[in-house]
Amino acid sequence: MKRISEDYQSRLPDNTALKQQQLPAYRLQLSATGVLSGFFAAGAFCLGMGIILILSAKSIKEIEVKYTKICANCAELREDATNFDKECTCSIPFYLSETMKGNVYMYYKLYGFYQNLYQYILSRSNSQLLGTDLKDVGNCAPFSNSHDGTPIAPCGAIANSIFNDTIILSYNLNSSIPIEVPMLKSKITWWTDKYVKFQNPSSINLSSAFAGTTKPPYWSKPVYELDEEDPGNNGFLNDDFIVWMRTAAFPTFKKLYRRLNRIQYFIEGLPAGNYSLLIFDFPVTRFKGEKSVVLSTLTWSGGSSLFLGLAYTVTGAVTWLAAFSMMAIHLMLKKKKMLFIQD
Amino acid sequence: DCTWQVKANDRSFHEQPHFMNTKFFCIKESKYANNAIKTYKYNAFSFLPMNLFEQFKRAANFYFLILLILQAIPQISTLAWYTTLFPLLVVLGITAMKDLVDDVARHKMDNEINNRTCEVIKDGRYFTKWKEIQVGDIIRLKKNDFIPADILLLSSSEPNSLCYVETAELDGETNLKFKMALEITHQYLQRENALTTFDGFIECEEPNNRLDKFTGTLFWRNTSFPLDADKILLRGCVIRNTDFCHGMVIFAGADTKIMKNSGKTRFKRTKIDYLMNYMVYTIFVVLILVSAGLAIGHAYWEAQIGNNSWYLYDGEDYTPSYRGFLNFWGYIIILNTMVPISLYVSVEVIRLGQSYFINWDLQITTTLNEQLGQIHYIFSDKTGTLTQNIMTFKKCCINGQIYGEWNTSKGMSLAPEKDPVDFSWNMFADGKLAFYDHYLIEQIHSGKESEVRQFFFLLAVCHTVMVDRIDGQLNYQAASPDEGALVSAARNFGFAFLARTQNTITISELGTERTYDVLAILDFNSDRKRMSIIVRTPEGNIRLYCKGADTVIYERLHQMSPTKQETQDALDIFASETLRTLCLCYKEIEEKEYEEWNKKFMAASIASTNRDEALDKVYEEIEKDLILLGATAIEDKLQDGVPETISKLAKADIKIWVLTGDKKETAENIGFACELLTEDTTICYGEDIKTEEERRMRTQSKRRLEARKEQRQKNFVDLACECSAVICCRVTPKQKAMVVDLVKRYKKAITLAIGDGANDVNMIKTAHIGVGISGQEGMQAVMSSDYSFAQFRYLQRLLLVHGRWSYIRMCKFLRYFFYKNFAFTLVHFWYSFFNGYSAQTAYEDWFITLYNVLYSSLPVLLMGLLDQDVSDKLSLRFPGLYVVGQRDLLFNYKKFFVSLVHGILTSMILFFIPLGAYLQTVGQDGEAPSDYQSFAVTIASALIITVNFQIGLDTSYWTFVNAFSIFGSIALYFGIMFDFHSAGIHVLFPSAFQFTGTASNALRQPYIWLTIILTVAVCLLPVVAIRFLSMTIWPSESDKIQKHRKRLKAEEQWKRRQVFRRGVSSRRSAYAFSHQRGYADLISSGRSIRKKRSPLDAIIADGTAEYRRTVES
Repeated sequence: MKRISEDYQSRLPDNTALKQQQLPAYRLQLSATGVLSGFFAAGAFCLGMGIILILSAKSIKEIEVKYTKICANCAELREDATNFDKECTCSIPFYLSETMKGNVYMYYKLYGFYQNLYQYILSRSNSQLLGTDLKDVGNCAPFSNSHDGTPIAPCGAIANSIFNDTIILSYNLNSSIPIEVPMLKSKITWWTDKYVKFQNPSSINLSSAFAGTTKPPYWSKPVYELDEEDPGNNGFLNDDFIVWMRTAAFPTFKKLYRRLNRIQYFIEGLPAGNYSLLIFDFPVTRFKGEKSVVLSTLTWSGGSSLFLGLAYTVTGAVTWLAAFSMMAIHLMLKKKKMLFIQD
Repeated sequence: DCTWQVKANDRSFHEQPHFMNTKFFCIKESKYANNAIKTYKYNAFSFLPMNLFEQFKRAANFYFLILLILQAIPQISTLAWYTTLFPLLVVLGITAMKDLVDDVARHKMDNEINNRTCEVIKDGRYFTKWKEIQVGDIIRLKKNDFIPADILLLSSSEPNSLCYVETAELDGETNLKFKMALEITHQYLQRENALTTFDGFIECEEPNNRLDKFTGTLFWRNTSFPLDADKILLRGCVIRNTDFCHGMVIFAGADTKIMKNSGKTRFKRTKIDYLMNYMVYTIFVVLILVSAGLAIGHAYWEAQIGNNSWYLYDGEDYTPSYRGFLNFWGYIIILNTMVPISLYVSVEVIRLGQSYFINWDLQITTTLNEQLGQIHYIFSDKTGTLTQNIMTFKKCCINGQIYGEWNTSKGMSLAPEKDPVDFSWNMFADGKLAFYDHYLIEQIHSGKESEVRQFFFLLAVCHTVMVDRIDGQLNYQAASPDEGALVSAARNFGFAFLARTQNTITISELGTERTYDVLAILDFNSDRKRMSIIVRTPEGNIRLYCKGADTVIYERLHQMSPTKQETQDALDIFASETLRTLCLCYKEIEEKEYEEWNKKFMAASIASTNRDEALDKVYEEIEKDLILLGATAIEDKLQDGVPETISKLAKADIKIWVLTGDKKETAENIGFACELLTEDTTICYGEDIKTEEERRMRTQSKRRLEARKEQRQKNFVDLACECSAVICCRVTPKQKAMVVDLVKRYKKAITLAIGDGANDVNMIKTAHIGVGISGQEGMQAVMSSDYSFAQFRYLQRLLLVHGRWSYIRMCKFLRYFFYKNFAFTLVHFWYSFFNGYSAQTAYEDWFITLYNVLYSSLPVLLMGLLDQDVSDKLSLRFPGLYVVGQRDLLFNYKKFFVSLVHGILTSMILFFIPLGAYLQTVGQDGEAPSDYQSFAVTIASALIITVNFQIGLDTSYWTFVNAFSIFGSIALYFGIMFDFHSAGIHVLFPSAFQFTGTASNALRQPYIWLTIILTVAVCLLPVVAIRFLSMTIWPSESDKIQKHRKRLKAEEQWKRRQVFRRGVSSRRSAYAFSHQRGYADLISSGRSIRKKRSPLDAIIADGTAEYRRTVES
């Protein structure tokens, strides 16, 4: 026995806090004061935030003009591939009852367009878009090479299906000659996209840089002709292209198209009055969905959606309700003397 | 049925073709095993394939292998291959390493044993290794050698061909047993050349596991000799007190009885393992159903929308239903995280960590920790586990006067004397006895009361102890530790037993040596419960000295015997102190009376039939009209803290069964000593129940016997489980295991077996948890146990503190793990409704890869390792807290579903609040950030914050490590995300890191942060509210204790309830004596030794066990 006990002594483990599980610790316990005050505070925060969000969302002016049906004729015309070079415009008049003050942004919005489909999202080549290796068409099948084997630039289903309606907004000042509202097409992308993810291949001019590649099958012009006036907006660096390539999370989405250039009549924003949208419709349009144009102003909290504000308000209210009922239950049970278990 | 044939000194005999069994196709192997034992599983070549095969037999590993294969198919693959391969390799690697280390240890042990040397006699003597010994070899064993195989004893150096063996490794009994060779072999086979030419042929039964049975025949010199178990030396025993002996190997290696007795090493799994497996299967079914549903959705969507959308053209000409089929596999892959691969590794890691913690506190070996929190039944060995197996002479009552510690309070000595009695005046004292009553020594020296000297003289003379002198030191060899203690006590008090021959016994009486003629030894047996010796003093007087149980002695006392009442009172006092008592008495015998009796005795001892009964009758005649001398009280020393531990465990609703090979009285005595039984316990003895059972049995037809047997076993378990404590006595090692198995089978309860000897190995292996006490009886129990420590009392800390903590931790861990994976994975499910069921993930690939590994693993692992709801002191103080584990309250199907529902709801919140926020919103700079990548980042951020805060809520013991890990995980997530979304890494690996700029652009927006905050709040606030309410309305035991923690701490010095209740006027006998028959037969040699009483047959086998139950009154 003695031997054993000595043995045991010599193997006696270290007496450290960690090994003896005696680390100093805070024992988390949901105390009534802590929980109730936490709930009241959380409720107050949510309610306050909800009201602020609702107010700021309400301050936004927004107008949406759907044009799928109105421009259906053009769409039908384009069904026939032989008519691809025929121009077809449709004009949609609308009335702006209030002035949209401040910066106004123009979006195109698509309904039922599945940019988030697994195979669709994959169908792009990031290394090609970096401009380093145009021939790298990685996952782009079936839009990786044309029939004769020339690599497509930009390749892939996303690029192929680019939104290519041209939208012009006109202001009918005196119901006589419409004035084209001046719009900016720059600074509508993330800086990282424009300056990191998308780069043109380096060469003297763009068309030679893209030599040896071909345009996507549904495109009417090659990538280096997207904006021939502004070299900083041409090729892979074209803002509309970049915006499109940032795929949407849901089948209904809007993407930024133009910003209002606040000059002339539009220094204050978009004055109230009659406007019309002129849509140049390019060939590929048919999908089971709708298209619209959205004009909107902005606040710090984003768009005109009331969802977040309402959600906060409801959460705040429910939290308070819960806090009150918990307090009631707590007080009720506190009166009853709790029996403590015996040793 | 004697089909096992062994021929001495003839190895080729055993290799004859008809002894060959086909083992593997055409490879034949002799049915005679060689003596090498093999407990390891793998060798260098088979390790990798066999280990991998075994690992892939685990459903989870196999599942992930299948997933890996699926991911390699391009049409199906929806996640990168590394997302599964990497974790799988880690899992397999860790497990393989563990197995490897275990197996190397087994190899080492086998090698150590197989390479022990042994002397073989064959063409001269030579030494060989154990593994080279073969059946039929003649071997020579020396004193203190381990016996290498099962051997037929042929001859020995001792007279009468005796050979003493210690069987501790086999049955745990430490007293010596003797074996005896056939007279003829002993006579002729002493010399080496005789042994080398020995050509005996043995036919015997096939190898079996019955330690006490052996039947066979030796054919030699044209005569046949019957063989029985008394002639067989079993592997595992040790030769003692015998200079050398020779034997012939009958069973070797795997055929030996000890190996046949070692149950299979089963892979033990915990209850939670099983539960977890079922839950994983449930999840798997859910996974298939969900994937099938989504696949159908995809087929439908393809037919309606996908096929008509020109922009989705992917160049393949599949039908919608085929696409749906492909998507089914795609969803199986992306939703695979519902069945978390890291679950199994994490569980292993937590168990390992918990083992370390337990190890740092106690001394423990492996990993079934959480099961320790669920124990219902404890099966305990007695000797060496509850008791130290040390008998000490504690008190005595001589002539009505009690000596021992008691005296100090009687005012006879002035001050309480705590210094032990000095025995230095006595040259024979062994210095091991601690005795505190100086008055007794005075009495011995003064000789005023002749009874005092008479008393110790009796102890020195009336016994069957053997003595040998080693370097002048007396060394006693007793058949039972009790008897050894008594003789040693007498020696210390000046009456040293020095030597004995066949007919004499020499005693040193206070320095003067006197030799007495021993006329007869009336040996002990369990019916007589007494032994007597008749001696003739040098003066010529004949005296009978007798010691035995109080009940039998009192019946035989002379009417006028003095101090009957005083001694009875003393016996009661001893009994209430759970000391084991014996009464001592003597009588003078007239020469004439003796002569007369001796004639009868002689006649009886040569009777050919019913000799035992005849002898008993003769003994009875002389053992009467005895004069009472006094009583002895021996303490069977308990291990430290046994009674406290047992009462604690009983309060934790754990039932304790003591399984012992001892006799009923001894077992009962110990039951009282360790407070398993108390004065208010009603004791029911098994025999009463048994007889009734048996009567009913006989009326049953044989055909239904099997069914009856099962019914009887069930009855036994049901009956025994109603009792608060059960003591099974006279059980064999196999029966111990069978009892455990019965309870396991019929009660479906978690069992723990604790023991220290080789006889407990089976029980330890059978129980869900085996605990080995590293005590005196070798390390075999420890080797086969799951936990081992030095003292029984550590059991309370092991179970009530570590077991409970481990259980709670494991349960919390599992609940959280299922929750976290569901919350994580099901977001994909909700998202699929918005992406055409196209198996698009809602997160970045890298996030999926790292979520379980980095972002959410450390806090939950730490909780699994460190969490404690109440401190160790409080856990020990309130054993009632333990019942949560026994009742599976913390992790069961209900809790599992609650976790799943919690996970599902969380995933809904995580998906739909950001969805609502994204649908209409516009960015700060006017861009529409409803892009996929920003959305993925928003959900992922909300998820990480939610699950990490949730684990914060689940953790009840917040150390800085926990805090660090929780906030660290969140910080790590943001850190890694910003790195992966940085410009540099995209330029280097444009296709691997596609989310460039998303983190910086999305998380710059205040409304995305508002979305994240709202999501987290909506996920967590209800949890807090529900927890608070359930704590307020239905507080659990541990909630209450936690709440009053401060108050409890203040009253730290709580009074321990007085556990010893004494002085109850009970008149139960404390007689207990731990052996059956002494060596009297050997001493008065010439008589053949009758077969020893074999232990009762198995309870289980025929239902006639002696079990005893007690029912709380």
